[in-house]
Amino acid sequence: MSQYNPVTPEVIAELEKVVPGRVVTGAEVNPDYARDEMPIYGTRMPEVSIDVLTTEEVSGIMQVCYAHNIPVTTRGSGTGLVGGCTPICGGVVLCTSKMNKILGYDLDNFTVDVQPGVLLQQLADDAMSHGCMYPPDPGEKLATLGGNVSTNASGMRGVKYGATRDYVLAMTVVLPDGRITRMGAAVSKTSSGYSLINLMIGSEGTLGIITELTLKLIPAPKATISLIVPFEDLAACISMVPKFKQNHLNPQAIEFFEKEILITSEEYLGKQVFPRKVEGAEVGAYLLLTFDGDSQEELDNIVEQVAEMLLEEGAMDVLVADTPPKMKDAWAARSSFLEGIEEQTKLLDECDVVVPVTRIPEYVVYVDELAKNYQFRLQYFGHAGDGNLHIYTCSNDMEREEFLRQVDDFWNKVYAKTMELGGQISGEHGIGMGKVKYLAEAVGEANIQLMQGIKKVFDPKMILNPGKVCYSL
Amino acid sequence: MNILVCIKQVPDTNEIKIDPVTNTLIRAGVPSIVNPFDGYALEAAARIKDNDPDTKIVVMSMGPAQAEDALRECLAIAADKAYLVTDRAFGGSDTLATSYILKSAIEYVESWEGKFDLIFCGKQATDGDTAQVGPEIAEHLGYSQITYALEVQQASAEGIQVLREADDCNQVIASDCPCVVTFTKPSFDPRFPTIKRKMAARKATINQITAGDIPGIDLTRAGLKGSPTKVKTSFVPPRKEGGVMIQAETPEEIAAKLFESLNGVHVI
Amino acid sequence: MEAKTKDLWVFVETNEDGSAKNVGIELLAPGRDLAAKQGGALVALVVGSNVEAAVEEAATHGADKVVVVDSPEYKQFSTDAYAAVLTAMIEKYGPTSFLMGATPNGRDVGPRVSCRLQTGLTADCTALDVDEETGCVCWTRPTFGGNLMAVIMCPDHRPQMGTVRPGVFKKPAVTENKAEIIREEFHVDAASIRTRILEIIREAEGENVDLEGAEIIVAGGRGVGSAEGFDVLRELCDALGGTLACSRAAVDAGWIGHAHQVGQTGKTVGPKLYIACGISGAIQHLAGMTSSDYIVAINKDADAPIFGVADFGIVGNLFDIVPALTAEIKKR
Repeated sequence: MSQYNPVTPEVIAELEKVVPGRVVTGAEVNPDYARDEMPIYGTRMPEVSIDVLTTEEVSGIMQVCYAHNIPVTTRGSGTGLVGGCTPICGGVVLCTSKMNKILGYDLDNFTVDVQPGVLLQQLADDAMSHGCMYPPDPGEKLATLGGNVSTNASGMRGVKYGATRDYVLAMTVVLPDGRITRMGAAVSKTSSGYSLINLMIGSEGTLGIITELTLKLIPAPKATISLIVPFEDLAACISMVPKFKQNHLNPQAIEFFEKEILITSEEYLGKQVFPRKVEGAEVGAYLLLTFDGDSQEELDNIVEQVAEMLLEEGAMDVLVADTPPKMKDAWAARSSFLEGIEEQTKLLDECDVVVPVTRIPEYVVYVDELAKNYQFRLQYFGHAGDGNLHIYTCSNDMEREEFLRQVDDFWNKVYAKTMELGGQISGEHGIGMGKVKYLAEAVGEANIQLMQGIKKVFDPKMILNPGKVCYSL
Repeated sequence: MNILVCIKQVPDTNEIKIDPVTNTLIRAGVPSIVNPFDGYALEAAARIKDNDPDTKIVVMSMGPAQAEDALRECLAIAADKAYLVTDRAFGGSDTLATSYILKSAIEYVESWEGKFDLIFCGKQATDGDTAQVGPEIAEHLGYSQITYALEVQQASAEGIQVLREADDCNQVIASDCPCVVTFTKPSFDPRFPTIKRKMAARKATINQITAGDIPGIDLTRAGLKGSPTKVKTSFVPPRKEGGVMIQAETPEEIAAKLFESLNGVHVI
Repeated sequence: MEAKTKDLWVFVETNEDGSAKNVGIELLAPGRDLAAKQGGALVALVVGSNVEAAVEEAATHGADKVVVVDSPEYKQFSTDAYAAVLTAMIEKYGPTSFLMGATPNGRDVGPRVSCRLQTGLTADCTALDVDEETGCVCWTRPTFGGNLMAVIMCPDHRPQMGTVRPGVFKKPAVTENKAEIIREEFHVDAASIRTRILEIIREAEGENVDLEGAEIIVAGGRGVGSAEGFDVLRELCDALGGTLACSRAAVDAGWIGHAHQVGQTGKTVGPKLYIACGISGAIQHLAGMTSSDYIVAINKDADAPIFGVADFGIVGNLFDIVPALTAEIKKR
């Protein structure tokens, strides 16, 4: 921390020259800028905050901070779950929320140019109105695209459409020293030097600041339908997942969850949507599926096929959500899992592992068994289709220190198992500051050194979002 | 028990847009749905049937041929049988004419389905928003009525007990059968259709009832002829102007200005 | 039915304590205009039990005559009793037009009466006028959820009936002259009332906060500062007949329960009026309330994003503005 300088009135004056009247300091800084959605990893108020509007001003601000060794942290909506935008060394927070314009579509080539502060929901709605779909669909619809790209957060449609990485064609980046550069290109393929854009994607604001994005779109499917599939227990539910691909069925989304977390979420929303019993038997777990197609008939056929398979293989029933209001209801409960847990829990930590799809059943059994050795409760749900599980450790009665100690022990074992099964420690939330200590163990010494080397090349003064991802302070 | 649920297919008002050039409603491409209030009525009937599996639920709708889709949705959710009351002669009916036609169709259908102990409707349709057809059906049939029902607490052929929404409180209200009950939004959501029911609904027959089928129906009481109310004209309400900042010297003056502004747009 | 007079009648619904519901008195305002244009008298019909207070109010707010039916069987509203008495009075006196408040009871009995009389009823009107050519009432009302307004007439059937929502018109001024009072005897025997009210349930605050159905919402955010701070908002709510809501910041701070939360992780609402006090307007909150018909924002910070969506904005201290607004409303 001693390598950084405090923000002096002189620095503020220089920043004022770049963004007159918009340098916010001291008590005026919005307290939200001290943290993201997981305050358990720590909070810290920045000395200065600036809501940026253009690439040029970001460049100007970085030049000032680079010259004076001031740490800079970028944030969008602050919906991260690993402390990624927490300014642990103080300094300047740059907020991109006001860079929220969709700059233009190229409908012949199915691309769109956006500013990084555009919200996911904003682009999703706007693209729909142009007959297109932006496939990445993280659960947090009010996250910014800059944030999504910085964590490679892909969301619920990953199983059919792939990751955010597949949809980022080009970007404008301001480097830590203030230079502006363009990476990638709006073309379908390229073999033109090292893929810098792929380093930027998922780099969580540690290598550069994204100030413009060119994203790939696809034609919007004409019809979608959701199915709620209740099962007696989680094992029956999870073992269904690999069967879709085996039967040549291609759901857009496959979410799974146990009944506890559903009840938590429905209580939070004050609305019961999912049946708790089917023909008298208690439901233990659910699959929530979405299928899309080019026509209603195509979809009807797919649904019939899917339903037959599900019922044969042990589903208790198949409920159909085929109108927009019903689909909204079905997904509302799923979208509120995190908030539902947050509301009921004092101490909360989470992890976001990804394992090969076929290993999910044994993984879940392991985690469940393991959790019995600890005092906290476990709640989890996941994108079953791509093996991405969100596991939450919850406690209302433990001491904070004890909770952190037990949870750390738990994650170590959980991550070890994940690696053993051929998985990785984060599917989409990223490493931020919360998971730094587990990353070295997970990727190995050689890889961590490569990552640290790359960080030094991009950011020789280490001023951009210090203490995140591949090293701690 | 025999329950009839009257439903209407309406455009999804969440999706309604105004054509900026002609200043009229764009109807093309707007998805049609079962009137949400009718959905609550059907859910109420379904809950009665959950408790008493011998209950028969019949759905009926007066509308053009495409209203069949709405009836099939109801079959997929909970209904046992569906009737579409459709005829060119019925077009242009206001609420009085509509309720007369439905009453005539109901009496006709009862001749083989048996008398309906309860007739459930949504409190209003989200296109017309009048909330009149339910009580008017009750009046034509001479039945008692309960409006603004939230949920059914007890129901049998002997009588019904309902939780009802009143001005500033809720009431528990009871009536003998037969009774017409109109439903408003309860605290729970209607159930999802199951795949088995959906597939059966796709193959089900929707019985059509035309003017010629109903013995003794007086067609001078149907359609435009039978409608005492007429639409003189329609218009799109003027768009709200952009935000106005209210400024004044003292809080009292600000409050007075705000009150005037809100009063001017009929909000308070 | 043929009209016997050119009079316009306003149904003044009463409460169980014999006072008039506001909407009936409010309707005397447009009633006055319409009656004049139609060339007839303005008559208020008061029905209930021990309704002297209501009669007095009706008589001093512009009616030419007040017809009263006062009897115990009308104390509690029932469809059967009220349909009978309204029909009987209309058939006896034959007004050309008949206005009612679109209260739950009004919307319950109105169509029964119009159907019994085989005439036209136009529901939920927001404006009333008389067509110059024909002398018929023109009823303006919203359809398609308010997206399209329709103007309706009932040319050939009488009476022309309509219901109007409470609050659309303001109560007229008190008049010097008092109306002529006509007391009618009309009884409905208990056996013909087929519904029975078994229980009245009033919700305690916070238990089942019906935000989604609320017409008026007053919401508080971080600017309210404390649990006690919400008391001024509660007073405004009471004065307006609104429901109390809040942003997530207030819930997180422990000042108010989650049941009141509006926003992405709370409820989504669409009232006629949303008054946001001390709420900055973070996108997560806006997600829950931008479909309100009218948004009023009160905030100390002129740059707060809420002013971007507000129809009426006030930069100021909510603890000064809100009590002033409450006082203003109570005055009227």
